[in-house]
Amino acid sequence: MSEGTGKVLPNRPGWLASVNPWVLRVVNNPERLAFVLHRLTGLLMALIIMAHIFVTGTPARVGWEAWAEEIAKAQGITVVTLYFFFFAGIAWYHGLNGIRLLLVEFFGTCIGKPEKPKPPYLAPSLKACQRKLLYTVYILWAILWILTGYIVFMG
Amino acid sequence: MVKKSTVQIWLQYVTAILLIFLLTWHLLVRVPWLRGVETFKDTLASEKVYHEVSSYGILLLIFAYVALLHGFNGLRTILLEWTSGKYNGLITGTIIILFIIFGALATYTVIGITPP
Repeated sequence: MSEGTGKVLPNRPGWLASVNPWVLRVVNNPERLAFVLHRLTGLLMALIIMAHIFVTGTPARVGWEAWAEEIAKAQGITVVTLYFFFFAGIAWYHGLNGIRLLLVEFFGTCIGKPEKPKPPYLAPSLKACQRKLLYTVYILWAILWILTGYIVFMG
Repeated sequence: MVKKSTVQIWLQYVTAILLIFLLTWHLLVRVPWLRGVETFKDTLASEKVYHEVSSYGILLLIFAYVALLHGFNGLRTILLEWTSGKYNGLITGTIIILFIIFGALATYTVIGITPP
């Protein structure tokens, strides 16, 4: 954690810290990586949604000829297929991790029950299945992104 | 009286639940085998896209508005956190204007479409 300089207060190390997975010097902390990835993919999604709505409006705004011209590039490795590939990858992670967050935060599942602290003071949430859920998210993300790549580039 | 922050977080959770179904559907319609075509490019053919928009226009519009709500609400939260509340009005105002602009664009895409 930041010690604090003239402009930055201790415990408020600035906006860059919120996208730095290692700002908390804690060993074995995949939840922090999940948080940073969720935030980054969320930011990118919010920006790409605007571009996506603009581009998919082409038939209504410009006409079907312009749409056909764009779609002609949707084969092999092109700007259009790379856009779909990265957008899908970002959406897969944000969606899968979002389901995990809903289960853990909103529905309160997989976080264990409160208990009296006893040595070695391992939090119930770290013993419950939420971490398995987290690793499942990473694995499913990789599988679905590879499958998306196959469909977009090879299909 | 419900707190504003409670409404904001509930908005994010409820739109997230809706988006799970809407996004899954939106991604599945681009899978060639499920659309009975050969390639990913074929799923984007003018006839297919027109059929999708004319048949499921309302669903697409709901998806666009829910995605914009979720996305812009999240973006606003991050920006407010980064700026420590210094530009609340400016950020909220910009987000509302962007929501109206892109919501209108999505509506026009569905309403203004003509057969290819």
